[in-house]
This record gives sequence, C-alpha cells and structure tokens, in this order.
Amino acid sequence: MGFGGAGFLAGRETAEASNDGTGSVAFYGEHQAGIATAAQDRLHFAAFDLLSEDPAELRELMREWTAAAAEMTAGEMVGDVNDVPLAPPEDTGETVGLLPSRLTVTFGFGPSLFDKPGLGLAGKRPAALQPLPPLPGDELSPAESGGDVCVQACSDDPQVAFHAVRNLARIGRGTVAIRWSQLGFGRTASTTRSQDTPRNLMGLKDGTANIRSEDAEAMEKFVWVGGEGPAWMSGGSYLVARRIRMLLEVWDRAPLQDQERTIGRHKYSGAPLGGTDEFEPLPLDQERNGHPVIPVDAHVRLASAQENDGARILRRGYSFTDGVDESLGELEAGLFFISFQRNPEQFVAIQRRLGSMDALNEYIKHVGSALFAVPPGASPGSYVGEPLLS
Amino acid sequence: MHPNLVRTLLCAGMVGLLALFATACGSSDEETTASESGGTEQLAFTLTDAGCDPVDAEAAAGPITFEVENASSNPDLHELEVLDGETVLGETPDISEGDSGTFTLTLEQGEYTLLCPGGDGEPGTLTVSGELDTANSPAVEDAIADYRSYLEENTAELISATEPFVAAVVAGEIDKAKSLYPAARIPYERIEPVAESFGSLDPRIDARENDVPASEFEGFHRLEKALWEEESLKGMAPVAEQLQADVEELAEKVKTVELQAVQIANGANELLGEVSASKITGEEERYSHIDLVDFEANVEGSEAAFEAVKPLLDASDNDLSGEIEADFKMVFNSLEPYRTENGFVSYTELTKADTRKLAVGIDTLAEKLSLVPAAIASAEHE
Repeated sequence: MGFGGAGFLAGRETAEASNDGTGSVAFYGEHQAGIATAAQDRLHFAAFDLLSEDPAELRELMREWTAAAAEMTAGEMVGDVNDVPLAPPEDTGETVGLLPSRLTVTFGFGPSLFDKPGLGLAGKRPAALQPLPPLPGDELSPAESGGDVCVQACSDDPQVAFHAVRNLARIGRGTVAIRWSQLGFGRTASTTRSQDTPRNLMGLKDGTANIRSEDAEAMEKFVWVGGEGPAWMSGGSYLVARRIRMLLEVWDRAPLQDQERTIGRHKYSGAPLGGTDEFEPLPLDQERNGHPVIPVDAHVRLASAQENDGARILRRGYSFTDGVDESLGELEAGLFFISFQRNPEQFVAIQRRLGSMDALNEYIKHVGSALFAVPPGASPGSYVGEPLLS
Repeated sequence: MHPNLVRTLLCAGMVGLLALFATACGSSDEETTASESGGTEQLAFTLTDAGCDPVDAEAAAGPITFEVENASSNPDLHELEVLDGETVLGETPDISEGDSGTFTLTLEQGEYTLLCPGGDGEPGTLTVSGELDTANSPAVEDAIADYRSYLEENTAELISATEPFVAAVVAGEIDKAKSLYPAARIPYERIEPVAESFGSLDPRIDARENDVPASEFEGFHRLEKALWEEESLKGMAPVAEQLQADVEELAEKVKTVELQAVQIANGANELLGEVSASKITGEEERYSHIDLVDFEANVEGSEAAFEAVKPLLDASDNDLSGEIEADFKMVFNSLEPYRTENGFVSYTELTKADTRKLAVGIDTLAEKLSLVPAAIASAEHE
C-alpha cells in the first residue's frame, strides 16, 4: 500500500535514505530505528499506561506492536482484514496512497513498569532506570509526565507518524491506554552530518554540537548501552523526553543582543558569539575587555561537553504547538525535547547545571518529563523487548 | 529570579553592549570641545567598484560618524557596514550612485570589520583605540538620578515593611505575620531586576521552592510556605532574621549600583516579563496567592523605570511615548475589578478568562515597551 518509490526496496537504515517520501527505514536491526536514523521532520510520541499486570498480555502486546510497526515502516497496511465488507478494517486507512516517508517506530519501557509486582520484572530492572530526580526549574504536570511504555513515531509525513501511534493504540486497547501524547511539527536537531541544522521556535539553530550518528565512537561511548548490563539492554539506549514550554511572547520582546547572549550564539549564522562559522569551536576561555566572550550563564556554555566532564547526549527533539494557553491567551508552544543516552545520569548532570544557572530559564518551563529504557532492535521472528519479557 | 536580568541593569559586564547602546550611556558630545564636530570623529569612505576605499581605518574610541560616498558603477554596491564579529553594528542607508550617506556609532576599543557588500574587495579592519569616554549627557544623568532615587525609596520602604513582618514571625504570631507579608513584598517586586543583579542576594530573598536546592530555600517564600501551607513558624526565626539582614544588605548595595539609561528601559520591559512568566500564572506566591499584589508592584516598578527614561524617548518618538503611557493606564485599569479593601482578591478566585484578559494587556504594553531601549539609543545619534 502506501509505497510507490524504488527507494522502498532498499529497506536499509542509511543516513542517505531519501526524505522525499520514497525512503524507508528498516524496522529490524541491531538497534531500534529512530535513534541513529537521520532525524525525520515530524513526530508523534505517545506514553501508555499498562492496564493489566499479566506478563502474557504484555508479551502479546509487544509481539503485535512489533509486527504492526514492521508493516507500517515498510509502507504496508496493518493486518490482513482490510477488505471484508462486514468487518471494520484492521488498518485505519489514512496512509493509503501515502509513501513510507522514512517512518520509524521506537518502543521504550518506563521505570514504573518494573514496579508492578504482577509482571515480575523487578529483578531485571536496570540500575540506571530510576525515575528522574526532581530537577531545578521543574514545573511538571503529572498528566504530561511518565508512562509505562512509550512509542516514538517519526516520519517526514505527519499523517504517517500519526497513523502509527493511532494504530498501535488501537491494537493495544484493553492492554494499554494512552496517558499523554505529543505531536512535533518540526525537527530541532540533526543526527547526521548530511543534515542542515534546523531552527527551533526561538529562531535559533538548535543542536549544532549534537552527536552525529556517523561518529561511531561517540555513539558507542554516549548513546548505546554496552556491557554494563543488564544483558537485555545491551545495544539499547535510554530516552529522556521533556516537554519544554517556551514563553515566546517574552522572548520575542528581548533585544537581539540579549537573545544571542542568552544562548551564546549569533542568531542568524549560529556561530559562537564573536565567531563567523556555525561549526567553529566555542571560545569558552576567550575574554574581551575582561569579560568572557561567551557569558558564564549562556546556554551553550553550560550545555557544552567541555563544561560537563565531556558528557554528551544525542538530541532528537521537535517543535510543538498545541493551540492557545487558555489562561494567558498565548501560543501553547515550545520544544518537545528528546535525548538518547547510554545512562540517564548524562542528562541529569547537564540539566542540573542548566536548570539552576541557564540564562534561558527566563524564557522556558519544563512542564512534562519521562524516561524510558529503549531495548535493542529485534530480528524478524522476534519482537522488541523479547529478551526482557520472555 | 531571573539571572538574565543581571546584565540588563548593570554597567559592569555590559561592555559587550556598549558598541550598540553606548550613546545612551556615554555620548561625549557635550563634554569634548576639541573638534568642531562636537567630539565625533569623522571617517570618510568611497564606494568604488573594488569595494570600500580605504579598506582599513583607524579611529579613537567614542562616537564615530561614517561618511560614505557611492562612486561605484556596480549596482550591487550601495552600502557600508560595520561589524563586530558578524553582528552588524551599523550601516548606511542604501546609497545610489553619486549620492552619499552617513551614520554614527559609538565604539569601544577593539577591531571591527568594514564591509561594502556586493564589491569585489576583501573586508577591511577598523581599529579603534583609546578609552571610551563614558560620561553621560545631562539628560541621561537626570534619568539615572531619577531612577536611583526611586530605587532608594523602595529599599527604604522594604526595610521598614520587613521589620514588623520579621518581628511577627520571630514572635510566632501567624495571623499578624500573614497580614504584614504583602506590604513587604511590594517594594521588592517594584525593583526586582536591580536586586537580581547582586548574585546570590536575590535567590536568598526571593527564590521559589523549585528554583534552588532544598537546603538553600529561604527568604520570603520559605516564610510564605511556613505561614500558609505548614501553618507553623517553628524554626523560622533564623530565616526571618536572615531576611532582614539581606534586605538591609540590598539597600546598601543599591546605593552604589551603576546604572545606564538603556538598561533602565530594558528593566522596565523585563519587569513585565516577570508578570507574564510568574504572576499571571500564580507561580510566584503559590501558598499565599497574593500574586495580584506582586503583579501591580511589578507594573508600578516598570512604569517608574519608564518614566525615568521617558524624557529621552520624548525627544525621538513622542507617539510611542504617549501610547505607552496610555497602555500603562489600561493595564492598571484591568486590575481594578479585583481590588479589595486590603489589596487584591486571591489568585485562586481568578478564572482563566480573567487571567487571559490581564495577560493580553501586559503583552500589548510590553510589545511597545520593548521598542524603547533602541529608540533611546538612536535618539542620541540625531
């Protein structure tokens, strides 16, 4: 169904997969797709609460989700019963005629899953999978935080991403219920060297210093779980999601120079303050007239690897807007931050510094938060999370 | 508590801004008599097919007027730009062939880039040397003096309103302390951006619970929590006494704080940012819900800062000045329905429609107020 291009047949996850709709990304592999994959333009993310504590039901859910995700990423319809006149079609149908659009579906397990006695997973819980601690600047709403299981659907076509979450929610009905979900309309990070750096809603290039998936050494060191265990997580990663509301009206009134000093980069070129090239190194030690060229509270300084004992994370976030903030009459908009890291502690350490010192805090609020263990990829015949659940 | 405001009201650390805004804080036109152009150095350039001529230039720190004549036949070549790194600090209006144009910039010492875009030539270097004369014009001095006296009135009021509040806390008188709390908050909220310029002083006085590690949660909001949420003042006497010491320290520091007109104008805008970010949302006074008291105080402080620099703005944009004054009235009026005998209704009594109306008023005013700093800076060039 919804595929038409020759690119579909390639079926391999490559940084070069075409973003004109014809490209597709293989679902099965060593790692789950949607992490190292060149960031697609659109996102639909959903967190689910598990309704049952029966381990067999959870196994069945992951088996069915895996099969459906593999079909959808290949541009095929979900299920076999789609043309029986007296039966509702298994696939909801809105992607018929659309291209695969590099859809990836990435599954993760939240810390709360391991707290359910019925599932008996406590012994397999990774030491690293603890709920994120309270962080400075948190103004979290429980309704937009947490979740037992997550689905990250990314695609270059928003309807393809939406379709994935909708159909997985339908398949899971009775076993899981959607707790919260988030649409992202524009990527705010590049995850490969071939991609241009996009701008976030503050009008600034975001993710210039991000890990690029071609950098195998950095991916091994900072993103993929290695031999530290547990074994079922080897080749997986940890996903942190933060719903960050931007106070755009206040930001838009700030003088250009304040905006640039808040971030530490020039607004239009993305170059570090005082520089001319986006990718030149941050002059963190440089001073001019006795003052640091990059202010001490500039976002890029506090978030930089140099100031965080070398720690880096793979960012893969999206801009969002969800209508109007009812109590302010302002756009409810911001950044749905997603990062992948080998250990959530990498994110926590960086966010501790940012939350207490970052000049950007004047313009943002963290209103949602979640953490998920993203297991490694599955091979055909198996399902995502099988080593944990079997 | 917004660390970003640190740099908006302080001269120290503002050197980076001088290149753009220094005329508001340091035009030397009035003081220097050496040159017939009133202390402004003149640099003449010609746009030729090859680019800027001369390519490089030198000047003394201070106001510099760039006089540019277009002698080029290249239609793409019609302006000269001065850049710091790649930030354009100033440029001529588009000059047609045979015409000329000028602009003035106040520059501190350093190396700047001269660029005539569209030409074949490489960018040149403008080398500025010497010390920038940072003496202010009398009008700017008046604006600063006006705002400084406002600051000092408010720190004095802060000390005198905090004293009885602290005494009530130390005596364990919960109801009395509750009734005295709002009066102590008002003068602080009026001058908050300046308090924020003194490092840890603002967090000690005014941090909200989620702004700082639990062990550092003290000041007004710690006492607010004890009074309204815990309803116990056990262990609060040292917190109250420290608060008194901190507001007294603030009053001392305010006496010598360096101020610039442009930063006062920026502070006026950022006080409204405070309203948008934490008062309209009810986050500032989350236990006592006296957010509307803070709201009014922030707007009063913003108005006072605006009034201080208004004479500078009147010189360049009388219309804007009038619109802003009208908008301040509109915002104050929007608060009136919620006024009570002793202040304002609790934040919890506001509906979403109520807060939305208030927020839209603030956004309207703030959008205009945000134009003031640049308008003041450019007025000094004319």
